[in-house]
Amino acid sequence: MPLLTLTLIAALAVFLLGNLCRFVKVMRMPAHLRWDLYPIPKGPRDRQRYGGSYFEETEWWTKPVGAGLGGEVVFMLKEVFFLRGVFKNFRGLWIWSLLLHWGLYLYIASTAVTVAVSVIGAHLVSERVLFSNASFAVCVAAYALGVIGSIGLLSLRSFSSRLKGFTSRATIFNLCLLAAIFGTGLVALFNPRHDLLTALADAVNLRHAAGVYSAATYCHFALVIFFLVYFPFTHMTHMFMKYFTWHGVRWDDMPARFNEGGRKDIANNLQRHVSWQAPHIHGAPEQTWNNVASSSGQDGNTGHE
Amino acid sequence: MNRIEEIARPAGRLPEIDQESLLPLPPPYDGVDALPPRKHLTDNARANCDCSLDGFLAVGMPRPQTEAEEQQLVERFIAGLDRLLSPDDNWAFLQQLTLSLDHCAGCQTCVESCPIYTASGHNEVYRPTFRSEIFRRIVKKYARRGGKFLAKLKGEDIELNAATILRLLESAYRCTLCRRCAQICPMGVDNALLTREIRKLFSMELGIAPKELHEKGSVVQLRTGSSTGLKAPVMKDNIEFLDEEIREQTGLNIHTPWDKQGADFLLIHNAGEISAWPENPMAFAIILEAAGISWTMSSDLGGYDSVNYGLWYDDAQFARVALRQMQAAKKLGVKKIVLGECGHAHKASMVTSDRLLPKDLDIPRESSMTFLRDIVMSGRLKLDPARNAFPVTLHDPCNLVRMMGIVKPQRDILKAICPQFREMTPHGVENYCCGGGSGFAIMSSFNFEDWRFLVAGRTKLKQILEAFADCPEPETKKYVCAPCSNCKGQFRDLFRYYGVWEKSGILYGGLAELIVNAMTDFEMPYIK
Repeated sequence: MPLLTLTLIAALAVFLLGNLCRFVKVMRMPAHLRWDLYPIPKGPRDRQRYGGSYFEETEWWTKPVGAGLGGEVVFMLKEVFFLRGVFKNFRGLWIWSLLLHWGLYLYIASTAVTVAVSVIGAHLVSERVLFSNASFAVCVAAYALGVIGSIGLLSLRSFSSRLKGFTSRATIFNLCLLAAIFGTGLVALFNPRHDLLTALADAVNLRHAAGVYSAATYCHFALVIFFLVYFPFTHMTHMFMKYFTWHGVRWDDMPARFNEGGRKDIANNLQRHVSWQAPHIHGAPEQTWNNVASSSGQDGNTGHE
Repeated sequence: MNRIEEIARPAGRLPEIDQESLLPLPPPYDGVDALPPRKHLTDNARANCDCSLDGFLAVGMPRPQTEAEEQQLVERFIAGLDRLLSPDDNWAFLQQLTLSLDHCAGCQTCVESCPIYTASGHNEVYRPTFRSEIFRRIVKKYARRGGKFLAKLKGEDIELNAATILRLLESAYRCTLCRRCAQICPMGVDNALLTREIRKLFSMELGIAPKELHEKGSVVQLRTGSSTGLKAPVMKDNIEFLDEEIREQTGLNIHTPWDKQGADFLLIHNAGEISAWPENPMAFAIILEAAGISWTMSSDLGGYDSVNYGLWYDDAQFARVALRQMQAAKKLGVKKIVLGECGHAHKASMVTSDRLLPKDLDIPRESSMTFLRDIVMSGRLKLDPARNAFPVTLHDPCNLVRMMGIVKPQRDILKAICPQFREMTPHGVENYCCGGGSGFAIMSSFNFEDWRFLVAGRTKLKQILEAFADCPEPETKKYVCAPCSNCKGQFRDLFRYYGVWEKSGILYGGLAELIVNAMTDFEMPYIK
């Protein structure tokens, strides 16, 4: 197997495994208490418009509570593809962030198409489709948007008073990395024309072609491989962790009386041991949350003046 | 202060509040001369406490006196961090905490949504991401594997010393937990949750919390039955006195029912209403009597005070109070509990404790907003909106609205009985906090009140004045309907500080009072 193919597969495996581990780690955390935040896109549409909840109903526990994922999906699509929240609240950041995000989306889409066409191309469609002007244009757009977006964000983070003091070295590094990936990709696309796509198609089809691509192409692949391995360890995992922050926390308004399984999980959590050391809790190895909740904790003495 | 790392600077003071740079208020509130003199910290407080965050003190934790004491403080703080990240000690909020620690992109989209940060003239120590980022860096450095190396590598190194810890504690009490920033965050990160977790660490590990919330709050409530310290017999006496007041004012012969087995519902007020705003529980009694509804109050420990301060700072105190309230309701065999006009009590009882309660204690809980809306709309009361012929606006308590989605019932009532009702901008789930949220309304130690009035309540005051911009003169009497005891506490103090009644003729009060004021049964207006 060509080294490029092998390294790409290994990096992709680390990427998928790393992200899966993070996802599973959060999923396996103990059932938590409710922490609703409105508006929640559930229930009747007129109620959603002003952010109302089932608590507005008389004897709400006798009626069905809003369920279904339709509203959540629509909200999230607006958030993912148009960055709705940033548009409303930080317009100066929005345009650059939108360009970067669309660069990433088009990059993923064009890479997926290139891989798919490379795999099935020999049988179903001509490989020429891969290098058609349309596909090429999508790649160019992706890389160009990515470069503009990441450089725009870098400048904003360097000069905007709103961002400057709160931009970490890691954020600068991430943006530089993305700018480099998109930049080398752009160069590799043209130097010579189709070099990058040819290299990807060769890698997919296990063709040995070491040493025949441009330096920009090798550089691009090296950066992508690094990015894939690095990604699961960064806050960029917010990409899929939004499932938890939105769906799993702020939109999780299901009452316990309609979720017996959840109630049992919490009952089990109340058997967990408490080791907090403040006087009003008296943490000890044998102390459980049930004991703490049932006690009065009257020995506490805090507060100072 | 421009750099987060400065939080650990041992000596000196971070910038103090400059009144000139605060969010401007409209005339006649635009001058600083007319304000009461600023409270100065005592020499004792200055000597013993670290007031270098912003020149104010809310908690006033004494500074360690020796290096050994400082070392011990740091070690205990780190032990607290470990417990915050433990599935046993913090199962209730571990997922939310981890998500908010790990996924902030630092985009600062949230910052302009914070009424405290903007009111302060963009003082960096009040930026909603300021304390979160400090806390995040501390957690990563001191509670995660390889943290110290990565902190240096990433340029996120913060030294954990006494200055950092004491300033972080004070900083955790410069946020009202209103969650406007969380609402805005594109990642779903919750700075308010992080603030609460910091408070929790201090309370549950180090035993440090504002005395108004803990020592004089939840501890007293668990001992006596009420955070006011009033035991059941005294509370019953007080209510009996209010019944007599109703007789004198209206001629109605009301005997508030206590411990009535099998009543349709148990009404639980914030007990502070009974001493501070008795007209509110009186109005409830009048409405329920006139509507012919079977109800009761409870004299059981936990049954006559809906407050649950643990919601703001301590899971153990929260669980204890929540459990006792439900046990009181169960004993009476009521079909449901109706919560009086108290925002945090609503959230504590109906949302946060929802999954905590065993099935047999999961007594249905309903909001008084919904309940009163049904009574008003049912036609059981004779109401004349002309009796409320004055400008009225509505304050949306954060806990009731943004955190529970109870938005419309109170508006339905006001639109039906207040012909001059007008909204604030923004309102509903996007409202601004009163500035007294998360317990601030009852906190007055040291010089904290000055901060509460100058900074925390400033945006709300401006918003209220703008809602009445068409009738600013004091001769036109106006009403801010605030269906929450905590918010009313803030308005009482804030309005007094700025002389709002004298300068603008603005009164604040609850929702039930407006309903009774519209009742045609009585000759005299209820709101005086």
